Parts: sequence; C-alpha cells; structure tokens
Amino acid sequence: MVFTTAVNFVRSRGPDEFWRKRRIFKLAAHFVGRKRNCYSIAIRYVHRALRYATKGRILKKIDMRNLWQTRIVAGCMEHDIDYNVFRESLYRSDILLDRKTLANLAAWEPYTFKALTDIAKRRAIDDGLASINNQHEVDRIITKGSLVKT
Amino acid sequence: MSTLKRVQQWATFARIWHIYDATWQNPFKSAELLKKFLMGVHKPIYHPMNDCGDHVVIINSADIALPGDEWKKRAYFHHTGYPGGASWTLAWDLHRKDATMILKKAIYNSMDGNLQRRYTMQRLHIFPDANVPKHLLENVSNQIRQLRPVPKRLDKYNLEEVKTFPKLIDYPKDYIIR
Repeated sequence: MVFTTAVNFVRSRGPDEFWRKRRIFKLAAHFVGRKRNCYSIAIRYVHRALRYATKGRILKKIDMRNLWQTRIVAGCMEHDIDYNVFRESLYRSDILLDRKTLANLAAWEPYTFKALTDIAKRRAIDDGLASINNQHEVDRIITKGSLVKT
Repeated sequence: MSTLKRVQQWATFARIWHIYDATWQNPFKSAELLKKFLMGVHKPIYHPMNDCGDHVVIINSADIALPGDEWKKRAYFHHTGYPGGASWTLAWDLHRKDATMILKKAIYNSMDGNLQRRYTMQRLHIFPDANVPKHLLENVSNQIRQLRPVPKRLDKYNLEEVKTFPKLIDYPKDYIIR
C-alpha cells in the first residue's frame, strides 16, 4: 500500500477492522446489553474488565491465603492449640508445610492434622513456648528436643 | 458412595447445637466467640459460600455483665423513620425492657454486614433465663466454655465455710473497718 499523505498513514492501523473489533467483541461476549454489541461502548468496558482482571490476579492469591489461614485456625481450635504456637512449633520441628497444605490436611486428612498438632504440642512443651492443656495426651511423642533434655 | 462415606458426609455437614451460659459474661467478648460458631468459622471446611454454621442456644442472658460503667454510658440508637423519631436508650434501660437485646445486638454488630448475616442470626436462640423449650434443648450436644469462670459470691457460702476459711490476721477488737 502506498501512502501519499501522512494522514492516510495514521488512519490505516493494525489488522483489518472486522478482525480487530471481533477480538474485542469476543472478550465482551458475556456482557449484558449494548456493552456486548456496540463497539465504542464495548471497548470501554473491556478495558475496565481487563484492569479488574489484573487486580483480581493478586486479590485471588490474598483471598485464598486468608481462607487457608481461617481453616488452619479452625483446625487448631479443634485440637486446643494456638495458631501461632502451632506454626512456630512446626517450624522448630523442621516440618516446613505451607498454609495451603496445612489447610488441605485439616479439611481432608483430619487424623494427619491431629498428628501434626500433637507434634507441635510436644515441641511447645519441650521448648516452653506456651502452656498446653491436657499435656498427658502427648506423652507418647518424642521430639529431638525432648531426647536431648532427658 | 459407600455407607461409611455417606455417613461421614452427613456427620461433616450436620448442624451442631451448642449451648452457652451467659451468666456474668461480657456480651461483647462473648459475641466474638459465638459468631465463630454461628458462621462455621470453627470448622476446617469453612468457606464463605458454604452453609456450615451451627446453632447456638444462649441461656441466662439476663445475667450478663457489662464492663466498667457501660450500663450507664452505652447508648443504643433507634430511629422510627419519622422526623424527630430518633431515640437513644441506655444499656440498663434496654436490658430492663428486653434482657436478650444487648447480647443479640452485640453478636449482630460483630459480624460483617452481608446478605448472610440475617440468616446466620436465625440460628441464634437467646433466652433470658434457663427455661429453654424442650424441643430446642434436646438438640444440644455441645457446651461452649465460658470466657471467664463465674466466681461464687460471698453470700452464697454458708456461715461455717466463711468461719473456717484460712486468714492471715484477726482485726483487733477496737479496729474500725471503713
């Protein structure tokens, strides 16, 4: 294509108009009303939707993390141990599980989670982290710390 | 699905009924505790869109204890919607009118205002005394531990126990206790 003036050069941009608009309409397909049919309105809402999507990618991670946290706290409450003591004790016992794994264990593998809380309680007692109720229940568990002490 | 799995499913999602004795308890601290049970936050299967909240029966709400001078200072606002329809009721006055109201409002206000809040409140049953209808009481399977133990008042001890209680000193005969 030969452009005789700069004005014509500016006007002819990108791919064919139909395909360019079609790309936007595909993104606007699930909108309601004229937002999905009229290009000049659709493009505004697609831009906004894409901005929300960018924010949402971060928010989703934060929300999931909060949900896992809530679930682990619930699991800790069932077994009568404080969340912070639980996490600190696991860390000291070299059990490096993240929130996602712990939350899955609390919901789907309750016996495994109970074993983890028992280990955490033993470690908390050995290191003097916090007062643990019903200490006799974790007498059968031995951690590295309790071996060193006795 | 095997029978075991099916029963496990029922047991996981069954609504549990808890009972809580509000005698001499701070209603605002209690609200923070009880809302967890009402919303189901105390279960590892919790999800905001998962309807897993439990029922809570509160007894003896007439005997709650507000901290400090809250009975005299805390005001509850109500507006009828008409001009000049605003009214402020002090906590002691509200408690005299309805002994369940302070606890109910404390729990309602402790939760976030969303569409689920009204339905969550429907799972809360407050009674000013220990007279709970039998059809509610027979569901109860768990007691929530009180936030603080209820101390026994001096006038509830009999004279014998007070006399024999160990003490450090005897006041002199002519000592005036102010």
